[in-house]
Amino acid sequence: MRIVCPFCGERELGEFTYLGDAKPARPAADAGEDAVFDYVYLRDNVAGAMSEHWYHSGGCRAWLKVTRNTLTHEISAVEPAAGAGAAKVGA
Amino acid sequence: MAEFSWEVRSPLERALVAGPFGTRGDAGVSLTEIRNFDLIQVMARRSKAAHMAEAAKGRFGVPAPDTPRAVDAADATLIWSGPDQFLVLSKSGKHAIEALGQAFAASASLSDQSHARVLISVSGTKARTMLAKLSSIDLHPDAFSIGAAAATSIDHTSVTLWRGTDGPDGQAVFNLLVLATFAESLWHTMLDAAAEYGVAIAHSEA
Amino acid sequence: MVGGPQTHRLSNGGLIDRSAPLSFRFDGKTYVGFQGDTLASALVANGVKLVGRSFKYHRPRGILTAGSEEPNALVELRSGARREPNTKATTAELYEGLEVASQNRWPSLRHDFMAVNQLFAPIFVAGFYYKTFMWPAKFWEAIYEPAIRRAAGLGRAAGVADPDHYDKAWAHCDVLIAGSGPAGLAAALAAGRSGARIILCEEDFALGGRLLADGGTIDGRPAAEWISRTLAELGSMPDVRIMTRTTLFGVYDGGTYGAIERVNDHLPSPPEHQVRQRLWRIVAKRCVVAAGSIERPIVFAGNDTPGVMMASAMRTYVTRYAATPGKRIALFTNNEDGWRTVEAALGAGLQVAAVIDARPDVSPAHRSLASKSGFTVLHGSVSSVEGGKDGVRKIAVLLTGGARAEVEADGLAVSGGWNPAVGLTSYHRGRPKWRDDIAAFVPDGAPPGMVAVGAANGAFGLGACLREGFEAGAAAASDAGRNGNAGAAPVAEDEAFSLTPLWRVAGKGKAFVDQQHDITASDVELAQREGFESVEHLKRYTTLGMATDQGKTSNIAGLAIMAAVSGKSIPETGTTIYRPPYVPIAIGAFAGHHRDEAFHATRLTPSHHWAAEQGAVFVDTGLWKRAQWYPRAGEKDWLESVTREVKSVRGGVGFCDVSTLGKIDVHGADAGAFLDRVYINTFSNLAVGKARYGLMLREDGLVYDDGTTSRLAEDHYFLTTTTAKAGPVMQHLEFCRQVLFPELDVQLTSVSDQWAQFSIAGPKTRDVLKEIVDPAEDLSNEGFPFMGARKVALRGGIRARLFRISFSGEMAFEISVPARYGEALVRNLMQAGKQFGVTPYGTEALGVMRVEKGHVAGPELNGTTTASDLGLGKMMSTKKDFIGRVMAGREALIAPDRQVVVGIKPTDKVRRLRSGAHIIPKGQTPGPDNDQGYVTSVCFSPTLDQWIGLGLVERGRERIGEIVRAHDPLRGEEYDVELCNPVFYDPDGGRQRG
Repeated sequence: MRIVCPFCGERELGEFTYLGDAKPARPAADAGEDAVFDYVYLRDNVAGAMSEHWYHSGGCRAWLKVTRNTLTHEISAVEPAAGAGAAKVGA
Repeated sequence: MAEFSWEVRSPLERALVAGPFGTRGDAGVSLTEIRNFDLIQVMARRSKAAHMAEAAKGRFGVPAPDTPRAVDAADATLIWSGPDQFLVLSKSGKHAIEALGQAFAASASLSDQSHARVLISVSGTKARTMLAKLSSIDLHPDAFSIGAAAATSIDHTSVTLWRGTDGPDGQAVFNLLVLATFAESLWHTMLDAAAEYGVAIAHSEA
Repeated sequence: MVGGPQTHRLSNGGLIDRSAPLSFRFDGKTYVGFQGDTLASALVANGVKLVGRSFKYHRPRGILTAGSEEPNALVELRSGARREPNTKATTAELYEGLEVASQNRWPSLRHDFMAVNQLFAPIFVAGFYYKTFMWPAKFWEAIYEPAIRRAAGLGRAAGVADPDHYDKAWAHCDVLIAGSGPAGLAAALAAGRSGARIILCEEDFALGGRLLADGGTIDGRPAAEWISRTLAELGSMPDVRIMTRTTLFGVYDGGTYGAIERVNDHLPSPPEHQVRQRLWRIVAKRCVVAAGSIERPIVFAGNDTPGVMMASAMRTYVTRYAATPGKRIALFTNNEDGWRTVEAALGAGLQVAAVIDARPDVSPAHRSLASKSGFTVLHGSVSSVEGGKDGVRKIAVLLTGGARAEVEADGLAVSGGWNPAVGLTSYHRGRPKWRDDIAAFVPDGAPPGMVAVGAANGAFGLGACLREGFEAGAAAASDAGRNGNAGAAPVAEDEAFSLTPLWRVAGKGKAFVDQQHDITASDVELAQREGFESVEHLKRYTTLGMATDQGKTSNIAGLAIMAAVSGKSIPETGTTIYRPPYVPIAIGAFAGHHRDEAFHATRLTPSHHWAAEQGAVFVDTGLWKRAQWYPRAGEKDWLESVTREVKSVRGGVGFCDVSTLGKIDVHGADAGAFLDRVYINTFSNLAVGKARYGLMLREDGLVYDDGTTSRLAEDHYFLTTTTAKAGPVMQHLEFCRQVLFPELDVQLTSVSDQWAQFSIAGPKTRDVLKEIVDPAEDLSNEGFPFMGARKVALRGGIRARLFRISFSGEMAFEISVPARYGEALVRNLMQAGKQFGVTPYGTEALGVMRVEKGHVAGPELNGTTTASDLGLGKMMSTKKDFIGRVMAGREALIAPDRQVVVGIKPTDKVRRLRSGAHIIPKGQTPGPDNDQGYVTSVCFSPTLDQWIGLGLVERGRERIGEIVRAHDPLRGEEYDVELCNPVFYDPDGGRQRG
């Protein structure tokens, strides 16, 4: 498999580390145990396009959001995590 | 009270034996360790990338690379190392961490990596063939031109690779910054990859 | 020259170099072949028909094919450490001195004792693995399995390490082409002219594919001329790489392909510094598969008799190698193409006994050829072959209409049609589709970027191969952005094609479908009767197609027979899933450089070479080599050395290289706030110049890692991790920075390799440090209190960082200098500390002192423990959010009966405590119901003069003083131990603060 890192260009799979589903968002500090439990443990078992976190560990060390089809391994989009690099995030 | 000597030792000091290695005859690969350099990691503070770029321009007279490139300034090479960050490679302390602190005070964080890396240059008629055994990067002249750089991996360890100015023999020169603690192991891997082409091994102090 | 004449070599012709004779040995006998021969062609030229014994029945077998699809002619090449079993004689190149042994026979190929297996044939039927040798169970390991392994099987592995080297390499191109037949070369020509970067892989050592044997006319000239003209043109292009002896064996995601290059298999041993084989990972924008097709057998009784050969293979031996598989041959065909073998045989002066053609009609041209050449054409099928280890003798023919005939011949060429090589196109779970006109499966789509052309796509005519190849080559180049002028395509005529499907002829005797695995037509029928109708079940039950040839000559026949007996059509029956690799690949090629000491990359500490000089014993910890202890002359074992090191530290001073800890610079205005979120305790309130122990949780509330973090400036922290977690923690922190808390101004940099860091410990630490550190630096308890951290100057002008932290429980500092000064620092410490008896210590002594001090480490931070389990629950801040906070509060994680860290010591002071021992209440029977935990870490404590340990024990902290049982079923031991305070040494911590 090859992933097009938005910073480095196309690289081989061995340079990347897989984390998992990029959809769940970390709940606010006061969200309560149920919300955090869902965030930590509940995952959709997607057959098809899935948004995933990958880390370019063997390259620029950017965290990426990769849209990958779990059936075909086709990658349709790659974007950097919000905080990759130094771009201003939030207010 | 005793006075101490603070001898600097390259991580390759024991493994590197200058001279020919491998197949005899004209060496297809030259491996040269370049010793004694300053290497500073410059990372923009959040929302300060533009400030950092200005500071770099002011300090080095050239814009810092914002894509995977290595840019030569008068007395330093600026090598892209990731989004909104780059390495400053220089000699003789002119751009050592103390010297750069002021220039980037408001825009970037600095980490000294001068002792954390070993710098090896690879050239020769078989340099690309040999590097193809180590690196997954396409080093074809059209794909990796002079000044191209890559933050990548060799043998599962991080390396910074860039193509310098061609040598006097017209051959491409590839520079590798490898992690110091892995350097000896990688050096043997490189020798193993290069042996069949004949290797000329050297180191330079400057 | 030793060796007899080449009795079956034609006096001229062939692509062999008669000026370069090569002698070789087969089963101890010397023969001679020529440069350009394969082992198989040289054996054919020497009249050798019997080459091996079959897998189950030990039946005599010869050479069936002339390529990598060979199921029978498997041999052992070379001898000693370079012995290579199960090698196909049909692809092994001949070289001077090649040593070959037949395999799976005893005592000799001609007189094989195990041929008696044939008498027991009924027990080797389909599924015999599941039906036979089932009882009594204990006989399996002791009797059945060893006996079966001896009797049935393949060649013998060398049994010693492979002396040769292998490596791996990457290659990149616009267009990758598999195969150098007419379609492949035409594709290369078009893509090359368009300006594409090309890699062409050919598994043979010669380029041209079927053209090498079958010739033909291209652009009005002989094919050989076209090949050399094309190669010259390709050779003049700058970015065309043609790789012979290279098989493209797999296709992976994103246009990545695997290829194996047999760099030096054609030599007795690789030249110095060269590899035997190289594994290529090729990244290609487009791939043109011109892998050709494989001629398929027809199944009939005795079809495995030596001398029965695929028709195309027979003419390959005759035309390409000028070697004659027989003097008087017959052809059994169901298609037009088979007749080319007759033409080749006649051209070489061989006698043709008869042609048995299963089709209703034979062309007038072939009829007149038969009458002119004096052989008969029989309409019908071969029902059986009579013969033995010396080859074919008689062929029984069942004529259309029911009459019988006999043909005397010493060779039988068989053609059942052609199967496109659909492997590469099907490796992404693609299912090929059936084409009735050629009665074969052809690719139905392909992995992204790939296209099949020519015979691999079911286009068998030479003209079609050239046309499809050329068009695909130009299109692939264009897709890759290369749009040069491809010029004119080469042109040739298409041969006539007519085929009447025929898979199996009924008859008496064994009729083999899969010759390598000895699977017969009746095995397939039996499997169907027993209900294994799906092809995937058929495959596993009978093992059809599961040998090293992966059923290249047998799969389709097998499923055709299955279709016939189950009353379905062949496409309804379908194919099994195709999987790489296309040919067997040596494990050595996958390992490449990574063997022995290069098995993985190794990390060396800055003091490594100094420690080696001292005679240190090293231990692998992850990728690191760390000094484990420093033995001295006269010490009888490791324990004596380690005990001395511990006593030297506790009583004086010692030092240890701790550079392996992960070190991370945390910069930025929000660095403190960031650390507050990743650690359970607070770091934003840490004063500049101070260090603090920190604990990180995973988001699920369990402990992740620990370490000391110092604040070197308002916006700069220096964080350390455990050795094991250095990489993972960096990744985790980057995730927090980039994904979870992107609003924070934080920058992270690994500086693990920048600093050489040493722990100096013991009551005389200050005495040693004073010798090294600039006298202006205040190292007193007031000037540099416990948990202080700051930059200092060393004598001689070097800048260092000093941290007053202690893992040993002694008065201690950690000192770090830029890594290239690391070795100088060690030597200076030794020099300065000599008068104080300074002692280097290794990871064992480090471990002993941490257990004595009750510090938790890897065995306790094991991914199942909470902060509270470790006795660190009070560190958890209640005033802020942090990773893992909410989940750490779950009921089960705060339950009072959790297993928590406690000290453990045997009541018998001379007993050795062992880690892993289970803790059982006294008076109870060991078992899962009574298991209350286990011993995690142990050491011999020189300070307490007995073995001590730490353990995770249910309610351990409430049970200090209780005597329980340590139960160690692995070592068969059980003994009393006392649960105690885990801090065995200096519980008040006075020594480290002093």
